[in-house]
Order: sequence, then C-alpha cells, then structure tokens
Amino acid sequence: MTPDRRPAYFAWFILPALFLAVALVASLASLLQFGFREHIPGSLKVGGFTLENFGRMSDWVYLRVFIDSLLLSGCTAIANLLLGYPLAYALVRSRSSLLKSTILITTIVPMFTGDIVRTYSWLVVLGKNGFINGGLKSIGAIDTPFELLYTPLGVTIALVQYSLPIMVIILAAAISHIDVAFEKAAASLGASPLEVLWNVTLPLSMPGILSGTVTIFAWTLSAFATPQLVGGGKVNMISNMVYQLGFSNFDFPFAAVLSMVALALVFLVLYFMGLGLRRLERVGLH
Amino acid sequence: MTGTTKAGSKRRVLGAALAVSLLAATLSTNALAQDPLRISIWGGSWKDFAAENIGKRFTAETGVPVEYITGGTIDRLNKAKLSKANPETDLIFTTSHVGWLYASDDLYEKLDMAKLPNAKTLFPEAIISPFHVGTWSYVYTIAYRPDLVPADIKFTSWNDLWNPKLKGTIGLPDFDPSHVIYAAALLSGGKSAKDWAMGQKKLLELKPNIKAFYSSDATSQEKIGSGETPVQVLLSGNAYHMMTQGVKINLVVPKEGAIIGIDTVGINKGTKKSDLAYKFINIALDPATQTLVANKQKMGPVSPQAKVDPAVAKLPGMFTTAQQWKDQAIVIDHKLRAELLGEWRKWFTENLIAR
Repeated sequence: MTPDRRPAYFAWFILPALFLAVALVASLASLLQFGFREHIPGSLKVGGFTLENFGRMSDWVYLRVFIDSLLLSGCTAIANLLLGYPLAYALVRSRSSLLKSTILITTIVPMFTGDIVRTYSWLVVLGKNGFINGGLKSIGAIDTPFELLYTPLGVTIALVQYSLPIMVIILAAAISHIDVAFEKAAASLGASPLEVLWNVTLPLSMPGILSGTVTIFAWTLSAFATPQLVGGGKVNMISNMVYQLGFSNFDFPFAAVLSMVALALVFLVLYFMGLGLRRLERVGLH
Repeated sequence: MTGTTKAGSKRRVLGAALAVSLLAATLSTNALAQDPLRISIWGGSWKDFAAENIGKRFTAETGVPVEYITGGTIDRLNKAKLSKANPETDLIFTTSHVGWLYASDDLYEKLDMAKLPNAKTLFPEAIISPFHVGTWSYVYTIAYRPDLVPADIKFTSWNDLWNPKLKGTIGLPDFDPSHVIYAAALLSGGKSAKDWAMGQKKLLELKPNIKAFYSSDATSQEKIGSGETPVQVLLSGNAYHMMTQGVKINLVVPKEGAIIGIDTVGINKGTKKSDLAYKFINIALDPATQTLVANKQKMGPVSPQAKVDPAVAKLPGMFTTAQQWKDQAIVIDHKLRAELLGEWRKWFTENLIAR
C-alpha cells in the first residue's frame, strides 16, 4: 500500500466528469419516463402511465429494424476489419514515408469532412448515373445500372467509408505496441512473412481487433445521417425509426422506448467486449 | 502642484465615467430601437421570399428589423413547445394542419381580424382557424421526368401511380403521407379523410413501385433532379423551382384533383410585439405581396385581388379563382388532418416504410 501522494486539488479534476455524468443520467431518466407515458395522437402532449410502449417492441416491424441494424453494423465492422487491418499494418510497419503519407491522407483525412458532406458524395458515387454505374457502363461492363442507392449494400459501403478512419487508428495503435523483436525472432526461426503475420502479429493485435470491431459495431449501430440519405427510407436503422416515430409521428413515448432498448443493446455489446478483452489478457495475448 | 494634479485626475476620471455612461445609454437605446420582430419559418427559398418581399417592406414601414429563426416544420413546433413560457419568436409560419397542433397546445394567440384589414378579401379557404391564416397555397401532386419515364405512360389519374411499368420509380414524402393516403382512399371508394382505412389495401399494392422516401424539400429535389425517383408526389413549388434549374419536370393535376396545402401564419402566445406581428401579417396578405407570391414563387395566392401573370395562372396547381378552388382543389379538413396525421404516419411507417 503506497500512500497517495497526489495533491489534494487533484480531486477537483473529477468535476467535469461528474457534471457530464449528472447531465447524462438526467437525460436518460427523462427519456425513460417518456417510455412509460401514453401517446396522444395528434398532440405533442403525453398521457398517463402505461406499459404498452414496451409491448410494442415485440411487433415484427420493429424487431426487424433491430435485426437489420445489427446486420448492417456487423457487416460494416467486419468489412472495416478486413480493409483496415492491411492499411493499419502498412501504416505502422512500412519504411516508406510516401506510403505512410498516402495511407494517412486516403484514410484519415476524410474524417475531417462532415458526415453529411461525405454521405452526399456517396449519393453521387452510388447513383444510377453515378461514378460506379457510369464507369461500368462506359467500359461496356453493364447495360442496366446496379441498384446501389437505397439498398443495404449501398448503406454498408457508405458506413464503411465513414468509420474506416477510426478502425485504422485503433488497429494502428494496437500494432505499434507489438514489439518488432517477436516478429524478427519468428522470421529468424524460418517463418515466412505470411506465417509471421498469421502466427505472431495477428494474435498479438487481437485486443485492437476486438476493440476496433466492437467500437465500429456500436458506433454504426446508432448511425443516422448515412442510412437516412443513402437508405432513402428503404433501409432503416434504429435511429431512423426513432426519428420517424418522434419527429414525424409525434410518438415520443415509443421513440423513447426504442432509444432505451438500443442503448441497452450497446451496453450489452460493450459488456461482452470487456469479457472478451479480459479473457485475452488471461491467455497472455497482450 | 500635487493638489492640482489630483483635482485634474479626478476630473479626468469623472469625465471618462460620464463618457462611458453616455456611450452605454446610447448603445442601450439603440439596442431597444433595434429589437427585432422574430419570425419562425422554414429555411432556404421560403425564408428568402419572406425576407425579400414581406420583411423589407415591414422594416421600411415600421423601422423595426426582422430576425428569421429557421428550421423544419416539426423541429420548430417542438422548439415552440419547449419555450412556451418564454417564446423565442413572435410569429410562426407553418403548414395549415400543423398550425392546429400549435393551437391545440395553446401556443398561438387568438387573432383579432379587425387588425388584419387585408384578411377581409381573402379566399374563404385561407381563413384556417381563429388562430392562423393562410399566406399561400400549393399542391402535392404527381410530378414526373418525361425524359426518364416511358413515353406511353400518361398521368391523368392518381390511379396511374399504380401502373406496373412504374416499378421502382416513385418517390414519396415520409414526413407527411396524407396526400397518397387520401388519394388511395378516394380511389377505393372513400368520400372523406375519415374513410382513409378503405385505401389501405390499395396503398400496400403501391409498394413495388416505390423506390424511396424523401424526408425534406431538399432531398425531394435531389432525388427527382438526379433521376433516382423520376416520379414523385411532389410539392408544386418545388417542381417549379427545379424547372427553373433546367430539370425537365411535368406536373399533373389528376382528374380527381390535387391535394391542396396551405402555409399559414400565426402569432406566438405571449409575444410582446403583438401590434408589430399584426402589421407583418397584414403586409403578407396585401394583394401586392400576394402578386409576388404568385409571379415570383409560383405559389397560389390567397387573395383574389392578386394580379397574377396569365402564364403563371395557367400552371397546374395554381388556383387563382374561387371556381378553381372549388373544381380542382382537394382540401382535407385541416383540423381533422392534424388529428389523423399521427395515426396515418404510424400506419405508413409500419406498413410502407419499415416493412
């Protein structure tokens, strides 16, 4: 037991966190109480106590929105991992500063443009006469354009591009923590570069892979602007349904229930992520 | 010497204090004089039109500047509700049936029509309620891109939207499905908005033809402009705006009629600038302003005294006479529409958007 030698004023540093926690708890409490109130059609006012809003969650229409959201977020996270890992590996291990700069510019810089701007540019790229269909048509590869806009594939593509910078940052941080000596040792014992990657680097970067995948999954589960614009109302994620119910139908009580369930889902995912990370630590992968 | 310096110093301090006080008083008086009339309105061309054609004249006549607080229809309604005790604005522009939501939530002042001399000559359809009055009209009707829709498809009835050749081409608004719901009810034998359930089966049959839903004027214009949804149930004013941008669009008033929309204005309950608010509304209803509404914005005037350019008067959805209102406009009772809208949206969301 070493005595805490930090100055007493350090305790005050917790104040901003306390302020945020109070604000968050107050907002969530307000949201939760809405979930127990009756919706009055045609009015912004809410009625008395009811549990009916929670019962509506079993309606297939809303369950399907949750399933669709989970699938879209899952596919986005996996695609991010497949695309992000090679980029992050090259970013950390490459000796070419030109390659590093190119990777940084192509993956990280788009993060500094707003998501609306990026999403609008996907409308141009994915449209019937957009960059992809136009290019394929001009080389004679297709006669009729692919339907990419307002489809789950189009939304996934846009979500992957939207979240890829974060995945690359998380993976690059994880890879940079791996001691190169391990890789050199494996290589000196006759392992090919692919074997080194598969048997040494990948297992050692597993905590980054796990946290990156879960972060992207949880982050895109609450995506709004991308599915709203690229999905065109045909591909709906949880946030879009919350918006529809709250701001178009004035059904704030049920919108509150959907939000709370989505939040609980994210907490559940984060809980399992924590479990997974602890297990990895026990087997000594980090 | 010291005493003189002290006295001089005191004088300088007093002088400076006096100057600061005078400056503060002047600034404060100016601030009071410049306290603007605050108006809640949609952004983009709606705000620009109001600022250019109503606000400028209002400021010239009263010396009071106008500040526009912009936002979407429902966002502004929510804001007004949240700031009910201390309203952020003095006047609110909104759609007729949404105006009833303001009224039912006690957010509007009851209008004193004696203070609105220009309201006396309006089309009777423009007097929506004791709380809000119409400023211009438009229709939500069928619009299509003739260059992207097969030439053999003609639109003369709402029923033409169900043509199987239109599979995956139609764009509909997701924020207000009342137009297509009402049209489906009419085609299914319904007589009024109350019969809307009669059209449910027909609406479900429209699903294969729906390509996407739009959530705002901007996304509506983007979707028809890019050709992603070459057929839309579209606001006439947006169609005319796109035409001026060089997009080929045909607008049709079906034989059953087009669903009329009326944008309205009402006074925030609790405003301290009631007289100025009346003055602003009266300018908005002035025949000269209404002439600009028609000729510049291609929106229907609510005053029969507006001098509408004959070429503009011929445009589909432009109702300039009492007879046109009677023959071509489908006016859904605004209060009933406000009451049913939640139910319509719920059904629409659960059966057409989410399913």
